[in-house]
Amino acid sequence: MKLQEIIEKLNLQPVTKVEEKNVQGVFISDLLSDVMTSANAGDIWLTVQTHHNIIAVANLVNIAAIVVTHGKKVPEETVSLGNRYHVIILSTPHSIFDTAAKLNATGLKSK
Amino acid sequence: MTSRECDHIWKMIHVAYGYIITEKCSRCEIVSTYFSFEDLPPLEEYREGEHFWNVVESAQSFRFDFQCEKCGQLEKFDELMGLLMCTGCDKNCQVAKLQEILEKERTWVYVAFGFLPKANHIQLPAKKIGMLEDFFNHRRNSTDSRIKIVSQELVSDYSLCYGKVIKDVNMLCLTLPEEGA
Repeated sequence: MKLQEIIEKLNLQPVTKVEEKNVQGVFISDLLSDVMTSANAGDIWLTVQTHHNIIAVANLVNIAAIVVTHGKKVPEETVSLGNRYHVIILSTPHSIFDTAAKLNATGLKSK
Repeated sequence: MTSRECDHIWKMIHVAYGYIITEKCSRCEIVSTYFSFEDLPPLEEYREGEHFWNVVESAQSFRFDFQCEKCGQLEKFDELMGLLMCTGCDKNCQVAKLQEILEKERTWVYVAFGFLPKANHIQLPAKKIGMLEDFFNHRRNSTDSRIKIVSQELVSDYSLCYGKVIKDVNMLCLTLPEEGA
């Protein structure tokens, strides 16, 4: 599924520049260790974390986009790194549960 | 097929969650790091030989091994403390110079760190750094961009490096939702 399609369906707000990517699945965790061990390339990553190391991990695993939930504000340092490393950050005021449910309704699954 | 002939495809196995404990000697200020499965590090100063160790930080992390999916060869990664993404903060650093060159090709540089003090721990050999690089590039499944992993020996001056080793610490800095969200 195309990332732009998901952005439109869930009304996600771009925090960084957005480029077209294929989304393969969904991964939910607030631990970098979990993402490094278990996420798949092309996953959308739902988290409340906004520390700049989320860019380091998302880039390492080739995450399609990070979705920061609960309307948390993303620090400028994290946004700047995301733009530089082509790691897309999106934001939603909704909870992880609600966002995951909406992603599930689009047909995306956790692998 | 022998393991020497195999064009390895690594998978991460034996994933074990634990903590990277950082301690500092109150006398000589040398820093020590180690991996522990205990969630509570020694909270009081303790003596070990000539050093008097005090806990600086305990950060959730993990350790793992690699196994080749094709030939079954096992490689342990006990020497790896963690990876750091180069952000090019020190323009004179060898890693930052490499990042500047490779960034044009959308290749991103990470530094593999071993445990401290370096003299007391076996450091990650170049062969294993190459395996890490192969693993992450294979897993990234992308031809648009790549990962380059280098040894910590290339870091010119740690005091000028603002990068952070990837581990789960200081991640819980709570921020309030934006107005109206």
